[in-house]
Amino acid sequence: MSIETSAHSPLVADLARRFQEPPWLVQRRERAFVLYASMPSPKLEETDLRNRPWVVESIPSATTGGAGAAAQALLEGAKAAGGAYVYVRDGVTIETSLPRTLAEQGVVLLDLHTAIDQHPERVRRYLYSVVPAEESKWAALNAALWHGGIFVHVPSGVRVNSPIHFIYEETMAGKGGLPRSLVVVEDRASLSFAEAYLCHGERQEGVVHSAVTELVVGADANVTAACLSRYGKGPTNFFTRRAKLADNASVDWVIGDVSDGFTVGLVESRLEGPGSKSTTRGFGLGYGRQRLDFTASMDHFGHHSASDITLLGVLRGRANSTYRSSTHIERGADEASSEQHDRMLMLGSRARADAIPMLLIDENDVQRCGHAASVGRIDENQVYYLMARGIPRAEAERMIIWGYLQPLVDVLPVEPWRNEVASWIDGELN
Amino acid sequence: MSSPVLTIEDLRVSVEDKEIVKGLSLQIKGGEIHAVMGPNGTGKSTLASALMGHPAYSVTSGRVTLDGEDVLTMSVDERARAGLFLAMQYPAEVSGVSNANFLRTALNARRGEGNELPVIKFHRLLQQKMKDLNIDPSFAERYLNEGFSGGEKKRNEILQMSLLEPKIAILDEIDSGLDIDALKLVADAVNQLRSPQTGFLIITHYQRLLQYIVPDYVHVMMQGRIVKSGDKTLAEYLEANGYDTLKRELGIVDETVGAEA
Repeated sequence: MSIETSAHSPLVADLARRFQEPPWLVQRRERAFVLYASMPSPKLEETDLRNRPWVVESIPSATTGGAGAAAQALLEGAKAAGGAYVYVRDGVTIETSLPRTLAEQGVVLLDLHTAIDQHPERVRRYLYSVVPAEESKWAALNAALWHGGIFVHVPSGVRVNSPIHFIYEETMAGKGGLPRSLVVVEDRASLSFAEAYLCHGERQEGVVHSAVTELVVGADANVTAACLSRYGKGPTNFFTRRAKLADNASVDWVIGDVSDGFTVGLVESRLEGPGSKSTTRGFGLGYGRQRLDFTASMDHFGHHSASDITLLGVLRGRANSTYRSSTHIERGADEASSEQHDRMLMLGSRARADAIPMLLIDENDVQRCGHAASVGRIDENQVYYLMARGIPRAEAERMIIWGYLQPLVDVLPVEPWRNEVASWIDGELN
Repeated sequence: MSSPVLTIEDLRVSVEDKEIVKGLSLQIKGGEIHAVMGPNGTGKSTLASALMGHPAYSVTSGRVTLDGEDVLTMSVDERARAGLFLAMQYPAEVSGVSNANFLRTALNARRGEGNELPVIKFHRLLQQKMKDLNIDPSFAERYLNEGFSGGEKKRNEILQMSLLEPKIAILDEIDSGLDIDALKLVADAVNQLRSPQTGFLIITHYQRLLQYIVPDYVHVMMQGRIVKSGDKTLAEYLEANGYDTLKRELGIVDETVGAEA
């Protein structure tokens, strides 16, 4: 079991030694570890974590074997789409590549350990500023023991035209995996990045995968963040992705999950600046005995901030998913507007889906705030219509499901990634 | 290619345990156009849906064969691939599936594995058929029936029919909601397909459509069965005299299903 209540965790000490970390970081890690150890494994509204194990073991310093098929495909896609990427396997950075044209414009793409060496002040300023250790046991665990992270910095006014790719892959040797991405996009800059969590082969039961993405977006800056996950059975998976938006900034999240793991995930935009706006388009295909508790959240602080959430879940087998879309209009966020659309499609009688729309409005002057949610099965009239034109049932169902998924898959900014996700979905629907 | 034959023998159909079609027999051969007329609620559309195999309609007795093959044991898609086509009164809308993708999948399903039409050839064929039906080219990339007007949906049904070249085409109230220009286009498409290789069953309230598609046989349905058959002059007679005259002649007070007692 986990190393409990030690204020001086040997795991933190090990990382500090291995990466020659500065004292400020070691202190942050130590504090986070204490928090992690002291926080209970909670019972969430829809998901009981009280009996989930938290096996946290020594952190591997090497990984063996080559990239799995999915990682290969995404790597090739990354190379074809401009060649800016980082590939991390089992917490070990395998490859970092940044085209010279981007480096010349001052764009930084490094693994997070190297970034702490080379850009200590910048990293120190932003690390933990968007996802603090205090917010959850799994955020604390990541804050304490993250390794194999990625750092991106885009200077003011620089527009990065082709996406930057983060590929995190995990095998049995990774023992869970605690990746952390820190992305800082300065004023008037723009960036599109694509991040994938993949697993290859069997994974260890009881370990915890907790991934964190912190995104800092300056005034008038635009970011598209495409995040894919393909979790397998075994560990408890957590992801916490949050963006902080300054004045008139925009962030478009595209979240895709094709999994049969046990996952609790959050994607959130903090719309701090006036005129900031954010969209989240999420799709998921759960199968096997998948359990997903996913929250897409928009937290409005800024005047005239706007958000839109569209979630689509497709469930088959004994998959059981909760999709929560949450909008909070804080006091002072006058003239804010938000929309939510959730749609759940269950295939077969043993799958289960919940769509939970949440609106918390503390401001009187709100422009519009709407939500629509539906949970259902495939429309038999549609199936009949396609069959009446000679299309067999299985193919008719696949066409209808793709009809829902395609528009969301199509917004992924990298074509080879779109094709890869399409092949995952096809593979699980067949 | 031999001429097809659809044979319906003493067909009985129920919906939610209520018998709607009550012993109907009809034979349609390639090259023939049969019109089934009759007021609302007499079982015409039920006949059409049951022939196609809609799951809400259960055939309780009778036989239906297409070229000697038992249609009733076939699934809906098997019936379609065997050559049965139903132009529906209320076609489903399917978001996210483009018309072109749907039509190509349907056409290739009908043509069978190993005999699929190459993509370029398909698009050429589709463009031509759309032009014939005066359908805007943007139609191909729109989602299947989504946001289509009533008339566009009907034209889409006819487009599918002319692409799939069925052995037996059933048109269920294809004329409803169509203006006179659209009606003529639909009639042209049917007349173009008219050959010994295709038989038609046209279900309609009104004689109007039959001015443009001249039927070989006209059948009147009341109370779930055919009560009178004739040639095209029967349709003209009904248009001139209404169904009431026929009802009096046959001693029927209420023509709707379930009112015959």
